[in-house]
Amino acid sequence: MSIALSQPRVARRLPLPSRQTLPLWITLGVCLLMYVAAGLRYDNFFTPQVAVNLIGDNAFLGVTALGLTFVILAGGIDLSIGSAIGCTSVFIAAMIENHGWSAPLAIGVALLGGTIIGIVQGLLIAFFELQPFLVTLGGLFLYRGIGLLVSRESISLDNPMYVWLSGVEWHVRDGVDIPLAAMIFVVLLLLCVYVARWRPAGRAVYAVGGNEQSALLMGLPVRRVKIGVYAFSGFCAALAGVTATIYMSSGAALTGAGLELDAIAAVVIGGTLLSGGVGGPLGTLLGVLIFGIIQTAISFEGTLSSWWARIVVGLLLLAFILLQTLLQPRETHS
Amino acid sequence: MSTGVAIPEAGTAAASAAPKPNSAGRLRALGPLLWPALALAALLLFNLAFTPGFYKIQSIDGRLYGSLIDILNRGAPTLLLSLGMTLVIATGGIDLSVGAVMALAGATAACLIARPEDSPLSVINVHGLLPLIVFGGMAMALLAGLWNGVLVAVFRLQPIVATLILMVAGRGAAQLLTNGQIPTFDHPGFNFIGSGSLLMLPMPFVVGVIAFVIMLGLVRGSALGLFIEAVGNNRVASRIAGVNATGVRLACYVVSALLAGLAGLIVTADIKAADVNNTGLYMELDAILAVAIGGTSLAGGRFYLVGSAIGALVIQTLTTTILARGVAPEATLVAKAVIIVALCLLQSPPFRALFVRRRAA
Amino acid sequence: MNRFIRTAVVAAATLSSSFAMAADKLVVGFAQVGAESAWRTANSKSIKDEAEKRGIELKFVDAQQKQENQIKAIRSFIAQRVNVIVLAPVVEAGFEPVLREAKRAHIPVILSDRRAKVSDESLYATFIGADFVEEGRRAAKFLAEKTGGKSTIAELEGTPGSAPANDRKKGFDEIIAKYPDMKVIMSQTGDFTRAKGKEVMEAFLKSPDAGKITALYAHNDDMALGAIQAIEAAGKKPGVDITIVSIDGVKSAFEAMAEGKLNCTVECNPLIGPQLFDLVEKVAAGQEVPKRVDVQEGVFTQEQAKDALPNRQY
Repeated sequence: MSIALSQPRVARRLPLPSRQTLPLWITLGVCLLMYVAAGLRYDNFFTPQVAVNLIGDNAFLGVTALGLTFVILAGGIDLSIGSAIGCTSVFIAAMIENHGWSAPLAIGVALLGGTIIGIVQGLLIAFFELQPFLVTLGGLFLYRGIGLLVSRESISLDNPMYVWLSGVEWHVRDGVDIPLAAMIFVVLLLLCVYVARWRPAGRAVYAVGGNEQSALLMGLPVRRVKIGVYAFSGFCAALAGVTATIYMSSGAALTGAGLELDAIAAVVIGGTLLSGGVGGPLGTLLGVLIFGIIQTAISFEGTLSSWWARIVVGLLLLAFILLQTLLQPRETHS
Repeated sequence: MSTGVAIPEAGTAAASAAPKPNSAGRLRALGPLLWPALALAALLLFNLAFTPGFYKIQSIDGRLYGSLIDILNRGAPTLLLSLGMTLVIATGGIDLSVGAVMALAGATAACLIARPEDSPLSVINVHGLLPLIVFGGMAMALLAGLWNGVLVAVFRLQPIVATLILMVAGRGAAQLLTNGQIPTFDHPGFNFIGSGSLLMLPMPFVVGVIAFVIMLGLVRGSALGLFIEAVGNNRVASRIAGVNATGVRLACYVVSALLAGLAGLIVTADIKAADVNNTGLYMELDAILAVAIGGTSLAGGRFYLVGSAIGALVIQTLTTTILARGVAPEATLVAKAVIIVALCLLQSPPFRALFVRRRAA
Repeated sequence: MNRFIRTAVVAAATLSSSFAMAADKLVVGFAQVGAESAWRTANSKSIKDEAEKRGIELKFVDAQQKQENQIKAIRSFIAQRVNVIVLAPVVEAGFEPVLREAKRAHIPVILSDRRAKVSDESLYATFIGADFVEEGRRAAKFLAEKTGGKSTIAELEGTPGSAPANDRKKGFDEIIAKYPDMKVIMSQTGDFTRAKGKEVMEAFLKSPDAGKITALYAHNDDMALGAIQAIEAAGKKPGVDITIVSIDGVKSAFEAMAEGKLNCTVECNPLIGPQLFDLVEKVAAGQEVPKRVDVQEGVFTQEQAKDALPNRQY
């Protein structure tokens, strides 16, 4: 397994003790447990298409959560990501359908816009020492307001390039098609894992999140790191918005509303601590998969009414987090 | 709260080495409340100048009626939520479930009154007695608060995640109670909570004021406020000092839930129905915003109930202003964003350092 | 890790396929909008009851009004290889890609209650639902008759972008255009909820033109019921000072009419279970079905309310 192989290298390069990867193993274990349990209960659950769907359907949750992972690792939080998805998706749709922009232009501007707003948030947090929760809450309101002002209704994308894009997939074999959204997620995931483990930028993020004072004293560019993670998070949210437009061939301002909470839950389930410094993108992948398994299982079950579905999701999350807390080595949080 | 606050009006006072206790001292004590109060004043002044009829108050059927009254009326639930949220935030946590608790309490009360078929609560017959109905709703809120409190204080789960669970499952539980229906009712006593009036003022506002006074007394009149601030500031130190951190945190989540329950009862009584899907939706964000406007730091520690109350009023005034002017409601969201950032900047030391020249001591 | 999962998946797939039996029962996947109103709950109940009566295995998924959830549900239905998919789209646009997938998987799709906007009509077998445009027209016709063709109207709209809101407005405006003395002077969304209906009506009644309002058109009963409270609080008499017409036909509306507070409600029948499953069975058997099936509904006024009240199921 790739984790075990690189452990000696990790121990040499990173100041992280190996017990820090224990939460990841626990999460992996529970994820597999849930997958197998669902598979035994429902027909057709173990088909490759379901596995691919887990990645593809949750691609924009996944992309968003990956961006959020770095923010949380650095000790911050980003509430604006969910609304950013809706805003970028409706922006792209409006620009293409109503103003005749070309698809690459609209997508490019949207990605740039998300990154810039992320940078602005980072600046406010790093330079003026504002609370990340509040600044990004402001971002949430801003994105949602702008999105709704652009268009209250969803806008259908009939642009030929988009029609082509939404059909792009890798036809592995009969019944197994990997959509573009899933591919984007996997590529981004690999990139994040690489940066987190093997690049100085990634290690700097861990350092800043672990202990900001120490990082400052070590000479790390703490402010730049902070701005960087928020910029990346903004980029990822915008990318998720682009992915959403491809997935649904339309843009709507309310897409992704509330997703930030799902993303936070996915990141936390994946073993990343909200206080920062511990965790990583692989954990987030597991968190997203767990979310996906829960949702797929509920739809395979097919008999849960709206309210029972909500209660079950809540209870499963609770069970998971309790399990994680109990199995983890006792740490004293200040 | 550091005294290094240079308020423009107190300019000369800040420069002198010997602090004059009278004007400068009092203004400095106002410090954190100054900005929210100014924001509120600015909004009200804007309306005075540009919105005709905003200040018109009539008396209809023995109660006051007008935009200002609407602010007090519609702002009451946010006020209640923000009071509870202040305490929770002061302990270093957060409560995302308040909207769901509102729905739960409202659903319980509505089911106790209307006793719809297929509702698990229909087996209980309270014979339409108002105290029992209110008790039922509040009891449900209490349970919710205990749930949150135990998860956070005893199991040491992270507050965001712990309260997120109730936020998700709570509405589901409320729907379970109503069996997916919107039970309607017409109970004169209960309706009064939402749409009645006392001394010409709307009942929700009166309830809000009473709750505010009680909270203020509870927190400032006893050592509880100190304990909360201690726990939020430095949990280890407070434990060593003998403060029961677990108990204090548990209590804060319970109080937050109880206040949310009260808000839920008001909202439900107002529309004479329990609309579980929409009651309190996104109100937790407004509550957190109100607390932030009011000067309480999200990192925990010092808290300002009065500030949060002003914050709640600011938000409601904003919403009502936008509605009154016929502007698209979406603009409210953008305005909220601007206000959050502006107020935070104004309260942030590095930002203020840009504008205040340090005079030689 | 990916290799491990793939091996496990292949192993389990071979295991589970040996357990799979040919399904005798029809399996239908239903992607419902949510449980946001009494109408919707009645709709869901009608469908679940009917499926049970006919021995059809129903996979019911509630999307909590989020489009992403509906798309996920449909894709999981495809993965579960259901016989027929029924979709009640929460918004009109955005379902084309997933409907194409269903078509490729040879699973027919029926649209229920609301339409989806698609460029290729063959992506769905049939649509069964209310004619929202006609509902809007009926409301306007009633109002024209009741007020003698003269009224200044305040409108409470439904959720922006949803088919019912768009169509009910369209139908209403279509008829109103014929009456020069009937005009909509203010229109805002109440999101189909009681609370918002009350809030927006309160704002309407405080606006400078409040005195001119003689009629209210609400896209659904819940909003109208909220508005009635607002009107009473403002010291006016709903149903008398302001003529009120709304759509849906829920029980509370009938009660309000019996009390003289609501003037008319246009029925929007949620109990489509029987008609829906007739279509499902036909489609599953590969038979031809009409592209569009309308649900039967009527118009109810105050005079009829008291008599009709005991029969109202929802």
